[in-house]
Amino acid sequence: MAAVEAEGFTIKAGMKNSKVKSPPKAGAFKERPAKPTSFRKFYDRGDFPIALEHDTKGNKIAWKVEIEKLDYHHYLPLFFDGMCETTHPYEFFARQGVHDMLEHGGSKILPVIPQLIIPIKNALHTRNPRVICTTLKVLQHLVVSAEMVGEAMVPYYRQILPILNIYKNKNRELHL
Amino acid sequence: MSEIVGKKLAARPSLWNEDVEEAYRFQLAGYRDETEYLTVNSGNAVDRWPHNNYVKKLQRKDGRFYYFSRARECLEKDLPKVKLYND
Repeated sequence: MAAVEAEGFTIKAGMKNSKVKSPPKAGAFKERPAKPTSFRKFYDRGDFPIALEHDTKGNKIAWKVEIEKLDYHHYLPLFFDGMCETTHPYEFFARQGVHDMLEHGGSKILPVIPQLIIPIKNALHTRNPRVICTTLKVLQHLVVSAEMVGEAMVPYYRQILPILNIYKNKNRELHL
Repeated sequence: MSEIVGKKLAARPSLWNEDVEEAYRFQLAGYRDETEYLTVNSGNAVDRWPHNNYVKKLQRKDGRFYYFSRARECLEKDLPKVKLYND
């Protein structure tokens, strides 16, 4: 007797000649594009102290204001919010801006950590491999950028680590 | 490869070293070398990283700021763009 395809957990599935279909995909790895970010809104309004250049030499941002004089509580979460972006120039300015602010922030970074968690979580939850890779590199830079940053992030592990748990077995090439 | 620039002889490095990194950072900001930077920004000392003395921050001629990392930034592919000047 030919096998009959049946959905799982049905009476038909209990028949001897039935072949149960595999369950539908849950979508754990399906990309979830982020909403338009605050970074994009502020960038388009020209509120960032960065010079817009179309002939940038190398991969650098020209800052209008010295980073040491910036309010980290205001700007650093905004730049972190831009990590969800995937299009040029938002992606470049967000990534490079975060890098510059972390490299030269010193003691100004630690008090801002709680405000960075939601942007980090949002970036990881996009499930976009390129965004996740960038975010992981930013996390690496963050924990070495100042004293006690790693310890300060411990209470927020429950918000950041679950998404990394989904990808823990993805060890092959990313094909970005 | 070398070329005559005014009365100065400029050479292109074939290997990276700390002098090449120094020249790369100044030239990225639009200056020839530290001498020109100090002449243009009269009095302002160059901001450097304490652990390796690499250039940390430069002010461009248009007033904007460039910031540089602690580690080497001049990659092998950037070596042909660097000019080393002999006074």
